[in-house]
Amino acid sequence: MALERRDGNLYYYRSVRDGEKVRKVYVGAGEFARIFAEGDILRRTSRKAQREREKAELERLEALAAPVEELSEAAEVLVRAHLVDAGYHRHKGEWRRARSA
Amino acid sequence: MPGVLELSEDARGRLTELRALSEKAEAGDRNARKELRRLVRSSSPEVIAEASGIAQRAEAMLTKTISASKPLMEEALGRRLALMREEIAGESATPLEILLTERVVAGWLLVEVLEGLTAAQFYKGAPKSSRLSPSYIIQQSRILESATRRYLAAVRELARVRKLQATAPPVQVNTEVNVLRG
Repeated sequence: MALERRDGNLYYYRSVRDGEKVRKVYVGAGEFARIFAEGDILRRTSRKAQREREKAELERLEALAAPVEELSEAAEVLVRAHLVDAGYHRHKGEWRRARSA
Repeated sequence: MPGVLELSEDARGRLTELRALSEKAEAGDRNARKELRRLVRSSSPEVIAEASGIAQRAEAMLTKTISASKPLMEEALGRRLALMREEIAGESATPLEILLTERVVAGWLLVEVLEGLTAAQFYKGAPKSSRLSPSYIIQQSRILESATRRYLAAVRELARVRKLQATAPPVQVNTEVNVLRG
């Protein structure tokens, strides 16, 4: 997005993605150009702030879930080790006790 | 140095070893089975104690979040969790059952917290400025989905361990008597 000054006049263009190409689209001139440009800057800044807020919030949720996941993994390994030690084996996902054990 | 909510390097090492030995023993390796037995006996209590400690700290973190630091609600929730733990573990639970109970309780609490936070996004009275984008809600739902899966897996695992313990034959002690005939 750019505010351009040519021959003493102000022109405002927006960059619009069209597939792989980026096109420059004319928005307005003079005072309108300045108003549109400032509006776009405000919108961009608020979108960026929201993205950052969401990123921080997701990190907080992941931090809440992390210890439960750690506990879960440790418990799974221990259960498996205890069952194998006690003579169980898995058959098609199901734990069974060996006849000889 | 590990964080307060992480297992120590030592415990992680032993878990990795237990996992590898279990796989080998399941594949029929007799030496691995012997080594697994030794390691289960020697390191299980410590790893269980450490993992239970993590569960309690995670619970404190989650309780604070869901009660929004309101002392009364925090206390009530703490009591409810203690009751839940008592009910699930029951009397004379083995250390492994206690750990699995911790896992069930922590899993339940995490699901409750995440569901509460997700529901808040759909509350119509919330100011527009605090609304979050659909991509955020999708991410949040994914975290909730994974937490729900883990919680249900924890319930299943505890039930499975109990079922297997109940059907396991009692330990048989054979005494050999040699009668020498003169």
